[in-house]
Amino acid sequence: MVAQTLDSSWQGVLAKVKNWARINSPWAIHFNSGSCNGCDIQILATLTPRYDVERFGIKLQGSPRHADVLICTGPVTMQARDALLRTYEQMPDPKFVIAVGSCGLSGGVFHGCYNIVGGINELLPVDVFVPGCPPRPEGIIYGVAVLLGALKSGKRPEPIQWSGTGLDGVLHTGSKLEDHHG
Amino acid sequence: MASTIGALGAVEAVLEPLAVSFNRPQPERLDAVIRPDDLLTAVRTMVNESWGFLSAIVGLDHPAPAPVEGEAEVEGSIEVLYTFCKGAAIAILRTTLPYSQAVLPTISGLLPAAMLYEWELREMFGVEVIGLPVTGHLILADDWPDGLYPLRKSFVGFNGEEKSQ
Amino acid sequence: MSADTNKFVIPIGPQHPALKEPANFEFWVDGETVTGASVRLGYVHRGIEKGAEARTWVQNLYLMERICGICSHVHATAYTLGVEKLAGVEAPPRAQAIRQIMGELERIHSHMLWLGVAAHEGGFDSLFMYSWRDRETVMDLLEKISGNKVHYSANLLGGVKFDITPELAAEIHKGLEFLDERNRFYLKVVNQDETFIGRPRGIGTMTAERANFLGAIGPTARASGVAHDIRVDAPYLKYSEFPIKVETHTSGDLHGRFIVRINETFESIRVIREILDHLPPGELTARMPRRIPAGEAISRVEAPRGELLYFVASNGSDKPERVKVRTPSLCNWSTVLSLAIGLKLADMPMLLTGIDPCFSCNDRSVSVKRGTQDSSMWSWEKLRHYGIEYYR
Repeated sequence: MVAQTLDSSWQGVLAKVKNWARINSPWAIHFNSGSCNGCDIQILATLTPRYDVERFGIKLQGSPRHADVLICTGPVTMQARDALLRTYEQMPDPKFVIAVGSCGLSGGVFHGCYNIVGGINELLPVDVFVPGCPPRPEGIIYGVAVLLGALKSGKRPEPIQWSGTGLDGVLHTGSKLEDHHG
Repeated sequence: MASTIGALGAVEAVLEPLAVSFNRPQPERLDAVIRPDDLLTAVRTMVNESWGFLSAIVGLDHPAPAPVEGEAEVEGSIEVLYTFCKGAAIAILRTTLPYSQAVLPTISGLLPAAMLYEWELREMFGVEVIGLPVTGHLILADDWPDGLYPLRKSFVGFNGEEKSQ
Repeated sequence: MSADTNKFVIPIGPQHPALKEPANFEFWVDGETVTGASVRLGYVHRGIEKGAEARTWVQNLYLMERICGICSHVHATAYTLGVEKLAGVEAPPRAQAIRQIMGELERIHSHMLWLGVAAHEGGFDSLFMYSWRDRETVMDLLEKISGNKVHYSANLLGGVKFDITPELAAEIHKGLEFLDERNRFYLKVVNQDETFIGRPRGIGTMTAERANFLGAIGPTARASGVAHDIRVDAPYLKYSEFPIKVETHTSGDLHGRFIVRINETFESIRVIREILDHLPPGELTARMPRRIPAGEAISRVEAPRGELLYFVASNGSDKPERVKVRTPSLCNWSTVLSLAIGLKLADMPMLLTGIDPCFSCNDRSVSVKRGTQDSSMWSWEKLRHYGIEYYR
């Protein structure tokens, strides 16, 4: 799904990404859009010495204005929605989004409840989805590594076809819902 | 168990003058049906007796049943359950409010903890609680539409309108 | 403590750094003193009670579990007990015992998590780091038993999903030994470390009468000497056969709440050991009807934060008529609103942490109002640092 013909704005982004990919240590900000904290506990576990995600070069800190990556959990409640958008807008370009957990994919077990928006990709362009309820710390680190690996080679993450493991899902990229069906 | 039965007996005795009826759905539980006008007195009685603590205020929506030919229409109602617990014993004051008269006095003057429960009841069911010392929303978003009460059966979500944003 | 406290940001709860947000706590202050407090919840409001009415009894098991990642088992247990009551079914003894073990392991996890966070709020990051590292042990045990560190899904309507084999029991014993030793160390720190004791001592003091009047429950109330604990007052699962001792303290302040929670951890360790040594034999599940008979049931269980009440009503179909969840944190918020008055603003982080608010409700934006004109929005981090600096 890597586009062969790119419009100029997309080329502009890629150029920025190539330049930026020289940065080895992206700063991340975490945002909880209404999750039960299950995923957040697992994200926290990645910071503990056992998993130590910081050795991959990703650093968790507090301000969106310094962040390159947004790690987002939760099914996006109505109250959280504006805050999430504002956080994203405050981040400088180029910026990337990792959605962690089933809630971030589709609203998870809360799908259809009246006070949630649903998957994070309904609101923001998401680059990496990490499925699970909650995902294991290893899964979260894998998601981070996928993003970093793609960035180091100067492009946005590509979709990965799973095969042989029995998983029929696809790790998608792109911003709109239409990319994710089928 | 003896102390539970004793506790239930004691609360039944003090509520006797006020209750419309009593029910024992489970051995550890007593339901007392109270008229809305008598609610504050009933709660005061419980507090004066130091009978347990107010554990929860549960709202139940009973929508109007389908109209039957030749019979008067029955209005929908909201039933409010003031759930008191003492050890293993549970005593519930049940009062029913028709939609057109969904009004109750606050009991938060007697029991401060009730404020949050009554606030939630107002927001979720649309029961007007007279004397509740707070305005605005507790749980719902600030831009939640007025007059829309999520836990009434008539509310069936936004049917995907929200999601197409 | 060094400037290291600036470096670490706990990614739990919504973050609103420097953004204009509807305040989740509001404090009115006169100089340093808090004159009024209010709360606004709802950031994590997902509409679960309504959602439950549209899902089958079994689907709701997985929904209720996910109300909270930290007390997921106790929610599922309360729901399951309510539904089983309606159906007139009692889970077999072995299943009840396993549920109890999972519940107590969860309690250990929750208390150790709280210990770390409370320490962090007070600026004691080394205690935070240690307790969270040690907490990994109990999460490992939960994972060995259930397959997941969070949301163990032990419960089925009518029983449990998995068994505890002798090999697993041996692993649990080993893990408990480690946890026991570590918690003895934490108790010593909490009781003897002078720099630590200064922060929680005298904060949020509540007499037993006040606690009862305000409706406080759980360790928050037990630290004031109120000896209420559903596991003893209204035993469920196998608490009659394997009882716990209610842990109380007399100081009624935040320091007392530390002590109560650590002591409860010891009790949990002890009772798990006892059950493992006397695990009832037999089936893991009992038959449940798909349609639950009409009626109402109330189940009350002791979550790590206090009494959790579930009201479950059935209309005879395969979906509930009503599921009402009254979480313990909701009871305890009232105590904070009342106790804050007269305290210093710098005490607020520790006071709030003392009730162990479930993080799914612990929003991180605070509004500080001085007089009628001047009002500013603080992020939680700012309030936390304010507290730490004030007492330096």
